[in-house]
Parts: sequence; structure tokens; C-alpha cells
Amino acid sequence: MENIDDLTSKYERLHSAILGMDDHEAAAAAGDLLVSMVDPNDVIDNIIRPTADEIGDKFQREEFFLPQLMLAGNALDAAMSVLLKAIPASGEQSKKTVLIGTVKGDIHTIGKNIVAMMLRTGGFDVQDLGVDVDASTFVKEAVAREADIIALSSLLTTTLPYQRDVISELKSQGLRERFRVLIGGGPATQEWADEIGADGYGKDAGEALAVARRITGGE
Amino acid sequence: MSIIKFHDVMNRFYSGEPCGEQEFDMRLFQAAERMKKKFEIRYDPENPVPSDASLADRCFAAARELYADVGTYCLDTSTVARFSLDEIDNALGCAPNETVWGEGSDAFGIRHRPVGSDVPVFVWGGLQTLLFSDDETALRVYTACCRCRSVGGVIGGMVPSAECTGDVKADSPHEIFPYRRSALLQRRAAAEAGRPGMPVSNGAPKSVAHLAMYAGVDGFRPSDGIGTGGVPELKTTFDRLQRVAFGLAADIHISAGLGAMIGGFSGSVEGAAIVAAAGVFQSLLVNQAQVALITATPIQTQSRSTRNGIWVSALALQALNRNTHLILAGAHGDHPSAGPGTAQYFYETAAGSIAGAVSGGHSWGATRKFKTGRVHDYGTPLESEFLGRICHATEGMQPTQANKAVLALLSRYENSLADAPAGLTLHELYDLKCERPLDAYIDVYNTVAGELRGLGVPLPDYGQQD
Repeated sequence: MENIDDLTSKYERLHSAILGMDDHEAAAAAGDLLVSMVDPNDVIDNIIRPTADEIGDKFQREEFFLPQLMLAGNALDAAMSVLLKAIPASGEQSKKTVLIGTVKGDIHTIGKNIVAMMLRTGGFDVQDLGVDVDASTFVKEAVAREADIIALSSLLTTTLPYQRDVISELKSQGLRERFRVLIGGGPATQEWADEIGADGYGKDAGEALAVARRITGGE
Repeated sequence: MSIIKFHDVMNRFYSGEPCGEQEFDMRLFQAAERMKKKFEIRYDPENPVPSDASLADRCFAAARELYADVGTYCLDTSTVARFSLDEIDNALGCAPNETVWGEGSDAFGIRHRPVGSDVPVFVWGGLQTLLFSDDETALRVYTACCRCRSVGGVIGGMVPSAECTGDVKADSPHEIFPYRRSALLQRRAAAEAGRPGMPVSNGAPKSVAHLAMYAGVDGFRPSDGIGTGGVPELKTTFDRLQRVAFGLAADIHISAGLGAMIGGFSGSVEGAAIVAAAGVFQSLLVNQAQVALITATPIQTQSRSTRNGIWVSALALQALNRNTHLILAGAHGDHPSAGPGTAQYFYETAAGSIAGAVSGGHSWGATRKFKTGRVHDYGTPLESEFLGRICHATEGMQPTQANKAVLALLSRYENSLADAPAGLTLHELYDLKCERPLDAYIDVYNTVAGELRGLGVPLPDYGQQD
């Protein structure tokens, strides 16, 4: 092992590369730490996760906008990809999968994209089905992609009922217990989530991340 | 009328450069960053209503160059339609500077408004996107809105109908009935208010329901216009383009609004101003609009009257108004974070509306709320009265004076946006039989009106003439 100053410097290099949105540098910095025999789990716990939270905070404080959130997410992914290869398949750091989309009849993308990026930087494997997605597609894709969470966005009062349709579809196929359902969007509320039997509601992207972590057994 | 024909626009989408949505978003980000630097656009939080003519001119130049570079992305074809600088300039040259909406003695000549001019503001009143509990409530509210002389037209919400008893779902056959019902009641309300020719409008999420409002003798008329719009930022869909095609085919006035998202792929507050201004070129060329709307929606705060939101809208409006003769509008005071019945609702509406009207915009958003959700009857006609009066009170006001008033208003609500008061519903605020707000609500109105007069905005108390 190297001395503590050298290691601190390498940790800082990775942290800076991610916040600097440089995916090549982030991957190189992660690789450099592995060469120094640092446990990849420690890098994920001590650098990747805090940096992901820092990115989320910067977005909430309007220091980062969507492009920076996306580019920093790319850098974070690049580092994670290097680190995960060094962890045995049975390792405890496997990502939970979120299947996200805007429900049928609704073409609003922004809110869904923000939540997707926050979840991604927060350590989830996010698979985005896009907009105007019907209930049967959500369920079919959730099964096919082995999702842990189905996240449903809706920005219109008239598309909220489609969030309930997804839950009904899960129930009718006997799959309700297999997936957690997270809802959000302008007209959605906690009361609506309770009424339709969703597992969680996020009023904004930061809350969506916290709820996603909670309902999948994270912190 | 734009030089580019609509079928040419469609052909550009069909044969345009294939591009993934994320790739387009990143191109927009890079172009906005480039233009921000090249034209030295800088956000000035101390002047949410800018009075820097050079800054406005640079924003116009940046938007023109950005749109020629980036174009419009179509989500259905996954392609980009681009327009040259010459085509943009030709469209600007051919655009009308006046359009008449409505009919007979209720018609309104909506004209280009230079910055700080006293050209009358056309104000849409009404309760856009509102869920009404029943027919009678909707009719009475619409009628009271139509009676507000400060508004030129009334936008409706969604009215339950006998044909649809369950949830109204977008893009389902059931979506047609509540919007169609609203259109008929809006038309009837205008007649009952003695203004049968006043424009009425509504915005259903999907085109099938939207266009159904124009059917039959009691539906919307060509002189009511049609809202088309697009998808933020600089995108469109076939659903939006169907409204354009219908407007052109049926000779209906077209308006189009394309907002910037503050926090979105424009990448910065300055980038949002450039993209908001560039959206006007899309309105003109793709949507073939006679009236172009400029909006800016912060993605972190559920209010369009944030300091940076006001600056983005005001700068983009001034940029276009100083450099073109277009008819421009905004939806600035709408979408407050606070609910009806609260002083904060009026503060937010006033700040956005003052900035928009002084910067040369007509008022196109009516009294929409950010968080309507599934709450019924969430608003009253008094908000329309307030919106109309505040816009007219600022006709002829200069940006420097408006800036002082907006700064004072911001100090009253800026720290309360995240936990804004939800307010009350119609029946808690308004006596429908007497067509009059309850006394407590009138007190709130008059208190705010007094404060505004103290800020140099001549808003009379409730019931008094201007």
C-alpha cells in the first residue's frame, strides 16, 4: 500500500474528475486506485457515493443544470464500471435497477429526465422507457429487465390515472409484490400515491432518490 | 405569414438529419454555452427587469445564431429540421405586426408592443387547466371572468360531462367530452356576459380533444385562435404539429409557446434566455404562428415568478421586441407557487406580469396554477380581474421603474416559494350567486393593491374604476 498522502491525492483525483465531468479521467483515476491495491468497495463507499450526493446537492442548489448532471453521471459511471470489474460477481455492490418512464398520453420529458439522472448519479441502474408508455409495456419491460423499481412520471391531471393502471396491471398479472412502484410529477401527491397503492412518492428529484433508496432497503 | 410553407417544414423533419434526443440535448447545451460566451450574456440578479438595450440586442443575435445552428428536434421522426439565417430573417420580415382576435365589437387588435410602450396588452383571463366540479359552477365562473373588462379573452378548464363519469384520461376517447363541454360553456358564458364575440380558448393535452373544441356552431371559432406549442427545449411532436396543420387548414389564428427550462439543457440562466428567445423562431417557422409566446420555467422551483425566471423572460422578450415587429406574449404571472386567496399569489402574479408587460409582452397564460392536482374549483374570477388590471396598469411603464417594483415584490415572496401557502378553493373565497369575492378575499386584494400603488403601480381597489 502507498502512503496516506499519495492515496489521498488519488482519491482527490477521482473526486475532481467526476465533478469535472471528465469520464476518461474518472476511469483512469479509478484504475489508478486499483493499481494501488485499494479495495474497490472502499472507493465506492468513500468516494463514489459521497461524490454522487455532492452532485445531487449541486443540482438542488442550481450550481449544476441538467447537462452537468448528465456529464457528471457519465464520469461517475465510467469510474464505477472500472471498480465493479474488480469486485467478484457476488459482491455486495450490485446496482438496483429502476425502470422509468412518463405514462401514456403524456409527452413531458424534463421531470422524468431529472429524476432519471438523479437516480443514476445516486447509484441506480436506470433504464428509461421514454414518454407516452402504456401500462402493459411498463410491466412487460420490468419483467424482462428484472427491475427493482418501476418509476412513473405524469405531469397532467388527465394522465395521473395511468399511474394507477400500471399498478392494476401488476396486480392482474400477479406481479405486484415483485416490484416497488415510485410515482411523481406535477399533479401527483402523497395522498394520490396512498390512494393507488404506490410504494413511494417523490415531490422532486432529490426526494425521489431518497425514497428509491428507502424502498429498496438502502439508507 | 412565414416564407417557409408548412409542408416544407414537414419535409425537413421527414428528411432531416437523424439524431438521438440526448445527442440533440447536448448539442443545444454546447451551442447555448458558446453563444453565451460569444455574445457576453450575463445574468444580473439585481435587475430582474433588464434595461440594458445592448444586452437585449446581443441576446437576439445569440438566439438567431443558435437556432440556425441547432434547429428543431421532432420526437416522432427523431430528426432535426434546420433553417438558415436568411430563412429566419425572411420569416421575421413577413410576420404580421397586428392580428385581430375575436369578432364584432368584442374583437381585439393584438399589436406588436415595443419595450415600455403604451400599446394595450391583450390579456387572457380564465382558469386554464382547472378541474370544475360541475356544469353550473363552470358556467358561473366563466361568465364572471367574461365580465371582467380588464381581460380580452377567457381560457377554460375541464368540465365533467355525463358521457364520462370516471377518470378523464388523456389520449382516450373520454378526453374529448370535458373539453368539448367546457368550450360550449365558455361560448355561452361570453354571450351571457354581453361579449359574444370575445375570444375563448382552452388547451387539451392531446390534439384530438383539442380540435374537437372547434367543431359545430357552438364550438370555438377561427377568430378564437388555436394554441399549438412544442416541447421544451426546441422540440416538437406530431401531436403539436397536428394543431398547426389544423389551424392552417381551417384558417385559424395560431399562437405558439416554446419555453426554456431554467436548469435544463440550456445549461445556465443566460443560456435559458438565449433558448427562450430562440423558441420564437421555432414558433414562427415551424408553428407558423402569428403570436409567439416566451416562457421560462425553473425546474427546481414550482413558480414562474422566480428572480431568474423573470429575468430570462423579460430579457428574451426585450431581445425580440427591440429587433423585430413580432407580436409577442408571455405567460409570466401564471403558474405561481402560492394558491388563490393569498397575498403571495398576487405578489407572484404581479411581479411576473409587470416584467412581461413592460418588456413588450401580451399576457397569454391566464391564471394557471402549478399544483392543481386533483383539487376541484381551485380558483376564482378575482385572479383574472387582478391579472388584467395589473397588466394594463403597467402600460407605458419603463423597465427601470418596473424593476424597482419587481424587486420590492420579490422581497415579499422570494423566500417563501418552496413552502408557499396552498390557498383556498372557489367556495371558500367567492360567492357565485352574487358574483363577488367574499369580504376576506377582497381585503387581501385591497391590501396588495395598496402596496402596489405604493410601488408606483396604479392598481385600484376592488370594485373601483381604473
